[in-house]
Amino acid sequence: MNLPENTENKLPAEPSKRIDENAIKAWKLSALLFGALIYVIPGLAYLIYKLDGDISMLYPIILGPVAIMLHCFMIFVLPKIRWKRWKYDVTDKGIDMQRGIIIKKRTIVPINRIQHVDTRQGPLYRKYGLSSISMSTAATTHEIPALNEERAVELREIISDLVRKVKEDV
Amino acid sequence: MSEFRRQHPIAAVTQLFVVIRQNIVPFIIFVVLGSRNSGDYFWLIILIGAISTFILGIVSWYRFKFRVIDDELQINKGVLVRKKLYLSKDRIQVIDITEGLLQRMFGLVKVEIKTAGGGTEKATISAISRKEAIELRTLLRENNQVTEVMAEETSELEFQEESISNNPPKMWVLSNRDLFFAALTSGNFGVIASILGAVSGQLDQFITEENMDYVFGLLPGISQITVVLWSIAIILMISYILSFIGVILRYGDFKIEKKEKELQITSGLLERKQITVPFDRVQAFRFVEGVLRQPFGYGMLYVESAGFEQKENDRSIVLLPFVKRERLPSFLEDFMNEMPESGETIVPPKRALFRYMRQPNYLLLLAIPVLWLFWDWAWMLSLLVIPFTLFGWLEYKDARIKVARQTILMQYRNLARTTAIIKRNRVQVSDISMNPFQKRKELSTVSITAASGAGGKTFTVNDLDEKEAITLLHWPINAEQ
Repeated sequence: MNLPENTENKLPAEPSKRIDENAIKAWKLSALLFGALIYVIPGLAYLIYKLDGDISMLYPIILGPVAIMLHCFMIFVLPKIRWKRWKYDVTDKGIDMQRGIIIKKRTIVPINRIQHVDTRQGPLYRKYGLSSISMSTAATTHEIPALNEERAVELREIISDLVRKVKEDV
Repeated sequence: MSEFRRQHPIAAVTQLFVVIRQNIVPFIIFVVLGSRNSGDYFWLIILIGAISTFILGIVSWYRFKFRVIDDELQINKGVLVRKKLYLSKDRIQVIDITEGLLQRMFGLVKVEIKTAGGGTEKATISAISRKEAIELRTLLRENNQVTEVMAEETSELEFQEESISNNPPKMWVLSNRDLFFAALTSGNFGVIASILGAVSGQLDQFITEENMDYVFGLLPGISQITVVLWSIAIILMISYILSFIGVILRYGDFKIEKKEKELQITSGLLERKQITVPFDRVQAFRFVEGVLRQPFGYGMLYVESAGFEQKENDRSIVLLPFVKRERLPSFLEDFMNEMPESGETIVPPKRALFRYMRQPNYLLLLAIPVLWLFWDWAWMLSLLVIPFTLFGWLEYKDARIKVARQTILMQYRNLARTTAIIKRNRVQVSDISMNPFQKRKELSTVSITAASGAGGKTFTVNDLDEKEAITLLHWPINAEQ
């Protein structure tokens, strides 16, 4: 178990650790499945055109390819960017998380504010041996997605140990 | 109090009022519709309803018993489903005593006991005598027992004398003059106007073409536009008056008493409400200077306290309804034991000014083209660019963060100016974010979240220098010097 280092007196410009690379595959698959929902829109347009004939044929003809392009974008572009942005650090002071595709967002949760830590795994994550960690404070909930299964279990243990230690000190 | 007791019998009637109040809308509809188009059956239904509610009230009063035994408040209640509530003393966080209109007539009070823990539990004893309530509270509060009894038994007059002789002061009272100005400058009428708007939406059926023609017939020479303008003016006037009365009723006779471990806030003319704020649950302070109040240097002070209330509106507690900004530090020191700290002030850099000034104008950019479809003169609204830009400049001027060792002060303007003071060891989460436009100028938005009620309250300052933002992000977890 590698112990988290102390970050006293240095402020990293970015967190240092990345999430598992399999995240990209899992997210791609998830985008393939759930992203398919957008075909409902051209589908409806086609239905209305077929049944009512009230709207121009152009609607389904334009919306169809647009939906395909969007879907491809969701599958082939977004997961990669999202993975690239996701970085995190766990120290004895707090959890540092950076994410965001267009808007870059960085959050620090002080360790002594954490109330509980869980790991979660859906069917897609299981397929790729991934697991996510979710932490909650009195006000908010945070998640580090798509970590390697063993790493997630280990990290969950590290965090709850740190929380216990800090709370004993107080 | 080790024997079971019942409430005052009037609790059976308050039950009736609670039922009516909870179902006020269907009740009114029922009465209005029913009385119009039905015969004797209608009154029979009403009568049966009233009698059964009343019997229900009596039975539930009979079943409701409480006692304090072994450091525990026990309550037995329930008509069909019998419930036994056990609230242990050390889990009880807040004991609120309220005097409703009905209770007042009989010299009674309502006691609400709130606990914090996994879930939010609340026990309400709706009508007991003031003496019993105080006895109950004394029993349920172990450590500050003595001070509590003393404070309650001294009459108000003696109390003021005490507050003069004691230093620092233990009591804060809202003067009538301040109450009047608070009511005059309360900006609530926007909210009330929207409510009235919703109500007038319901009145649609009365505003038919025939009725309108009739009205126009009565008032010759008045165009539709004038009618619209007049109605808007009248709605604003009524809501302003309602808001004025609302503030007077809510904050009339407002006073704060400082106890050893908590503050007790008492306020309200018709319904007197007592709120307890334990010092160790205070998360943050929020000072809001409304548009009408800021020019005179006044605002309202809220306290964010962790624990009980799920409803968004009830989470923040009003600590001072109307107070001058410069009096805040001494108030916080005297009443909340918060020592003023000197710290380093951080403001948005010059390069952020343009972003601040153009941001409010995006609203116009969206609104004008849409309005133009309905109204030929919509382009006139583009004149608003000038006040909107000035407003952006004001936002830039007011944005600042002051970091000290134990507290952080965050000031920003939406419409009102908000100044929040958050304690370091109460910060739940700190965030920074950067959109592509901010990235180009190396600017970041900083947010800090404190717990408030059962959720959180987030304070945000826009467009600070990126490096300073990263320092602020780490402030809550930095080693204490």
